[in-house]
Amino acid sequence: MSHHPAMWKQPSAHSSFNDYATFPLAQTQRHSAISHGATQHTQQPLVTGTSVLGIKFDKGVMIAADNLASYGSLARFRDIQRLHPLGKHTLLGVAGDMSDYQWLKKELDALLRQEEALSLTDSHPSLSPSNIYDLLANLFYGRRSKMNPVWNAVLVGGWDKNKKESFLAFIDLLGTTYTAPTLATGFGAHLAQPLLREAFEAKAGVDGKGPLLTQEEGEKLIDDCMKVLFYRDARSINKYQVAIITEEGITISDSKSAPTEWSFAEGLRGYGAQTQ
Amino acid sequence: MALYAQPPTSYSDPTTAPIEHRFNPYSDNGGSILAIAGKDFSVIAGDTRQSEGYNIQTRYARKVWQLTDKVVLATNGFSADGNNFVKRVKQRLEWYEHAHHKPMGLKSIARMIQTLLYGKRFFPYYVYNILGGIEEDGSGAVYSFDPVGSYEREACRAAGAAQSLIQPFLDNQVYFKNQQPEPGAAPFVAGNLPLSTILSLVVDSFTSATERHIEVGDGMEIYVVMNKGRTTDDLIGPGILSEGMHVEELGALGEGGGERTFLVTSPLKRD
Amino acid sequence: MTSIGTGYDLSVSTYSPDGRLFQVEYANKAVEAAGVAIGLRCTDGVVLGVERLLHSKLLVKGANRRIASVDEHIGMASAGLLADGKFLGSRGRDEASSFRDNYNSPVTVQILSDRLSAFLQAYTCYGSVRPFGLSTLLGGVDKTGPKLFCIEPSGVYYGYRACAVGKGKALAKTELEKIVSKEADGQPGISVREAVKEIARIIYLVHDDNKDKDFELEMTWICTESGNKHAPVPADLLVEAEAAAKAALEEGMEED
Repeated sequence: MSHHPAMWKQPSAHSSFNDYATFPLAQTQRHSAISHGATQHTQQPLVTGTSVLGIKFDKGVMIAADNLASYGSLARFRDIQRLHPLGKHTLLGVAGDMSDYQWLKKELDALLRQEEALSLTDSHPSLSPSNIYDLLANLFYGRRSKMNPVWNAVLVGGWDKNKKESFLAFIDLLGTTYTAPTLATGFGAHLAQPLLREAFEAKAGVDGKGPLLTQEEGEKLIDDCMKVLFYRDARSINKYQVAIITEEGITISDSKSAPTEWSFAEGLRGYGAQTQ
Repeated sequence: MALYAQPPTSYSDPTTAPIEHRFNPYSDNGGSILAIAGKDFSVIAGDTRQSEGYNIQTRYARKVWQLTDKVVLATNGFSADGNNFVKRVKQRLEWYEHAHHKPMGLKSIARMIQTLLYGKRFFPYYVYNILGGIEEDGSGAVYSFDPVGSYEREACRAAGAAQSLIQPFLDNQVYFKNQQPEPGAAPFVAGNLPLSTILSLVVDSFTSATERHIEVGDGMEIYVVMNKGRTTDDLIGPGILSEGMHVEELGALGEGGGERTFLVTSPLKRD
Repeated sequence: MTSIGTGYDLSVSTYSPDGRLFQVEYANKAVEAAGVAIGLRCTDGVVLGVERLLHSKLLVKGANRRIASVDEHIGMASAGLLADGKFLGSRGRDEASSFRDNYNSPVTVQILSDRLSAFLQAYTCYGSVRPFGLSTLLGGVDKTGPKLFCIEPSGVYYGYRACAVGKGKALAKTELEKIVSKEADGQPGISVREAVKEIARIIYLVHDDNKDKDFELEMTWICTESGNKHAPVPADLLVEAEAAAKAALEEGMEED
């Protein structure tokens, strides 16, 4: 509802029929279904990102994703960052449709800017990672319920300043939510998650009550997993970034590559020189 | 699950019909739940694994929810629907308390759940609900629902991935189906089993389902709701629960009418 | 108050015979009753300061702020009806966010002032509404550099090197002129750190201990030091500035 005084005592600007042709400027309904045709919903992803990995370590959370946005099997955009910070202590790692991801970034950035302005104006507390996660979960579930899904799988990593603990959780296009000390989307759920769980449980135990991995151990583990994914996931690229979220804030690494070994492939038919 | 399986791509000629890709708003997240009523208590339980296909999404996701001091709800099916359904139920319970200055009773919650489920009859919550607790007359009760709101009060019910494994077992042990009393012995009376027996049934149900169903395992949460004044000697004390099990009392949510809720947890196999 | 009883001061949609809008002039009276707000444009940013009068000893210290954030890089200090200020701040945030939506770049202080002034002006055209009892200082750093604007209840707005609104604005403006004239004489302009002290000094100077209620000093800035973001002036600097202001006041009294 517009509070502009020109709207006072006017015939309803929200009715589809303008009885007196007296609508104030720029308030007429321009987005009618007739002029635009039936509402279009995302029915399939087009430009997509593959796996995102996330683990908790002793001082926080790390999240990793490669730099590729594929168009089907075409490696279309090779320098896309799929890690997006929201404020000082929350970060998204996004897989799935990249246009939905860009829309999501825009919406959340605007929301956070609004919150930041309000926190300076009225000294209200800033959004915690779990606040942002709940908001995303409601958004994704709401959109799936309108049969217009946000075609992504998202890891939310963060540090909760009040509880003094790390945060790591998952949401997908269906609105499915869950949390665990190690998480992975897409192909990562098949290839990396077992490795992540094995390494995590080796130190923390099956109940997770033992010591967590250190940052160095965590980064090594992520590097190993990204290498495995590059070897076996045809929609991946050997160029990825790792974000680390701790009490001090967020750092996102420069793009890096895992060292790979291909000499064994020389003897493979279809890869190396053909002998017959 | 067959309930919302995709319709056939073509009703006429399968070779020429275009293949339709349509967004499927549902998923099945596995797991199992059950509840058994006693004379003056009720037991509601679920496992904690959440899965999709062959992937374990997490080894701990809650499926059993304490709603009031005498009511506990278990949900199973599509977890996003389950979580959001529980959120709506809790919101309605809060509104009820604001309006009437008392918590909603068990049979009223059961009816309300029917209304909420049927309200989405043509885009259903893909969730099987089992509600357990203490009725106004002090008796233990279990209500079970289908996804669109059909419901009834029962002595016991199992639902979810391992329903087909657990329900026949409960039919046999709680309703004494396919059992014959010894010649000359008193006839069986269905239900009203002692708490220790029911706890054993629950544990056996879940350990067995874990062995034979890939979607069941990781952990188990058993809620025990007791009527006011009832003894806790058959739940709390040395040697009552088996090794590895843990029990804690959950504090009263409201003013506390004397009913007590206990949470028994136990690990299940993780493979 | 020759306007009273003439009947030309009842509606903002009626001019007086000599072409004045009395309701707008009354709105200015609401501004003059409010604690002073000062904005100063410096070489490396903009500083906003207000004298927040405390109408009750029961108020929480530091609460009920009069300077609002409109966007990351723009602050807004208003003098007048507090509720009108909150409403305008909210409108400012909507405008700033809509600008970012449409053009994918932060709004300039000039454009935001233009939009908000048009909004205020609309409230001087209709019989069913009253004008804002508000004079607003908009300060910020954008791609064109540090900028300061003042919007008045009539909807008119001007860009300033320094500006003061509210009670005691005349005295404050004379002091500001002294600071600004140095720059006009070819001397280097004032820095934000210096400006913080000057504004504190002026607010203490303008405040009348005998007549006015107690006040708290509220100051924010947008400058290189704050990463060109709108942020509160650091507490230690504010304390220092207040101490210097009080000392200057003592000194001034001894001279009298």
